[in-house]
Amino acid sequence: MKFKKILAVMMTAVMAIGCLGGCGSSKKNSGKVDSINILVWEGTWSEEAFQDFEDETGIKVNVSYIDNTDTILSKLVEGSADYDVIDLETAYVKSFIDNDLLAKLDSSELDNKKNIIDNFPSPIGDDKMEYVCPDLAPGYTGIVYNKETCPIEITKFEDLADPKLKGQVAMINSTISLYGMALQALGYKADSKDEKEIEEANELLKKIKKNVKAFVGESAVSQLENGECSVAFCWDYMQLCMDSKDNWDKFDIVDVATGCERFTQYWAVPKSSEKLEAAEKFINFMLRPEEMAKCYTENGGIPLLKQEVIEKLLPEGYYDNPAIEKYKTLDKNAWCVAVNDEQISLMDTYYTELMGNE
Amino acid sequence: MTKTNDLAVKVASKPKKRKDKRSFKSWLASAVMCGPITIWSVLFIILPILLLAFMSFMTKGPLGRVVYKFTLDNYKEIFKPVYFTVIKQSVIIATWTTVLTVLMGYPLAAFIANVKKKTSGVLTVLLMLPLWVSGLVILYSFVIMLNKTGVINTVLMNLHIIDKPLNMLYNNFAVIVGMLYMFLPFAVLPMYSSIEKLDKGLIEASKDLGAGPVKTFFKVTLPLTAPGIFAAVILTFIPCIGYYMVTDMLGGGTNMMVGNLIHRQFTISRNWPFGAALAMVLAVVIFIMLFVYTKLGGDLDDLGA
Repeated sequence: MKFKKILAVMMTAVMAIGCLGGCGSSKKNSGKVDSINILVWEGTWSEEAFQDFEDETGIKVNVSYIDNTDTILSKLVEGSADYDVIDLETAYVKSFIDNDLLAKLDSSELDNKKNIIDNFPSPIGDDKMEYVCPDLAPGYTGIVYNKETCPIEITKFEDLADPKLKGQVAMINSTISLYGMALQALGYKADSKDEKEIEEANELLKKIKKNVKAFVGESAVSQLENGECSVAFCWDYMQLCMDSKDNWDKFDIVDVATGCERFTQYWAVPKSSEKLEAAEKFINFMLRPEEMAKCYTENGGIPLLKQEVIEKLLPEGYYDNPAIEKYKTLDKNAWCVAVNDEQISLMDTYYTELMGNE
Repeated sequence: MTKTNDLAVKVASKPKKRKDKRSFKSWLASAVMCGPITIWSVLFIILPILLLAFMSFMTKGPLGRVVYKFTLDNYKEIFKPVYFTVIKQSVIIATWTTVLTVLMGYPLAAFIANVKKKTSGVLTVLLMLPLWVSGLVILYSFVIMLNKTGVINTVLMNLHIIDKPLNMLYNNFAVIVGMLYMFLPFAVLPMYSSIEKLDKGLIEASKDLGAGPVKTFFKVTLPLTAPGIFAAVILTFIPCIGYYMVTDMLGGGTNMMVGNLIHRQFTISRNWPFGAALAMVLAVVIFIMLFVYTKLGGDLDDLGA
């Protein structure tokens, strides 16, 4: 009887350990790779392109979608992630490399990089692009306005504080974009860690906040399209132009002298991945003109690849989109910062004060 | 020792053995019945709270890592004026929501309690319908309804009732509408239960003794349904204080609430220990409220606890 009880307890313990064991992840990868886990932004990629990769290589693509880079960071830093390819924002590349989170890529395996437009900007911290590979053309955070309803002419960021814009401004709530833009407008560097300068930027943002009708997390498209706001500080100009041809004449983006924030996406492979070869194969596959064309046809976007290799694969008139030319102009003054713990912490305290302010 | 003594020991030990067997069986039965829910509660409620409490005393490391070094700084930080303003804002919004929800919910609860049983059943189900749908979907539908090109403005414009669209989104009006819609069921149900249990004979007696409807309400109905009102206040105020979706989506997110602040610490700010400390403070405030509720005679069962 006693023996039976001991046996029952032991079996329960073994089963419990077995169950908990399943919670962990095995990183061993000997021989053929049958699947890869990728983490990408929603609304950017084509499921059809992933399917093409599966059909050609026999490697299953398990896709997870994210809506902000902090999610990747939390998962990778805490070691709970098991991703083989990630879609990384330019501002985070340096932090990821400095913290030894990315694997070096083998350029010889990425021959489709030759299709990428010339002089593509490198991220801060990886000038030679040894750890990352571009996956999308740059986007810009700027002042987008409705040409028909905006009551003033906007030429600089400070103009958003004009009382005539009361209740007409929508703004993204990204700390770096807001404070970066305000710092640049005041003649400081967007990556300033000087508390006095950040405080000045905060004062400017407080003035602008009086006109803000809505702070948005991801997109200000609906606020602009449904007429709630006539101006938005956002990253949606391209999206507006993709949504409808009517928006081409209706909306414009301001080319401010102090520059707009440039954000770029890159493919990267976490160091923890043991499927580097398959990951590189996937990245190279996604750079094929026919696969990129599928993504642009489905979701829109400025082509990352040279016009001569991709235009024929895109819907007719794709390059007539005014955002494509406009973005080339914005790039000349564009700025970009690398995420920094000290700066984020400082800016976030001021951001809390800004949002607590009536 | 004698034979008699041995026998006495034997006799005494026999029933004890049976008792042991019974208690093991009853323990096993209790374990089988309560085991799964106990394991679930320990794994997914108690352990996470303990983990959160532990983390709130740790230090923030590079890239948002948690460094296992004891500190009280996270709690000291909360008392900075900048965070105090956020907490104050949350309390103000939660108080307003609670007051309005209870004021609007009470007549509705009284109406449901006084109609025929069949009708009150249908009305209760209708009242609970919003709880079956995701809060996010409900809030998006409000955005669609209230915006300048939304359903309400379009209908009013087409009927030539208004010349230009009404400003109904991203202001206090939208926040109040959203909050009332989200929290009204939580307030009405306990008040309905309280009003339904009210002995109608007492109201009749009050009338017989010459009291008018207003006096009867304030002297008889209201005091006797006070536990329901108190439960409604608790059930509305507690979730409301951390709920920031309505202010974000319908109010334009121009003011930060405690919920936003905690969410930001775990995402953009990557300061998990401070986020944990804020969450712990919020939890303690809720426990204090529940403690006061029970001390004043409130029943936790009325809150579904």
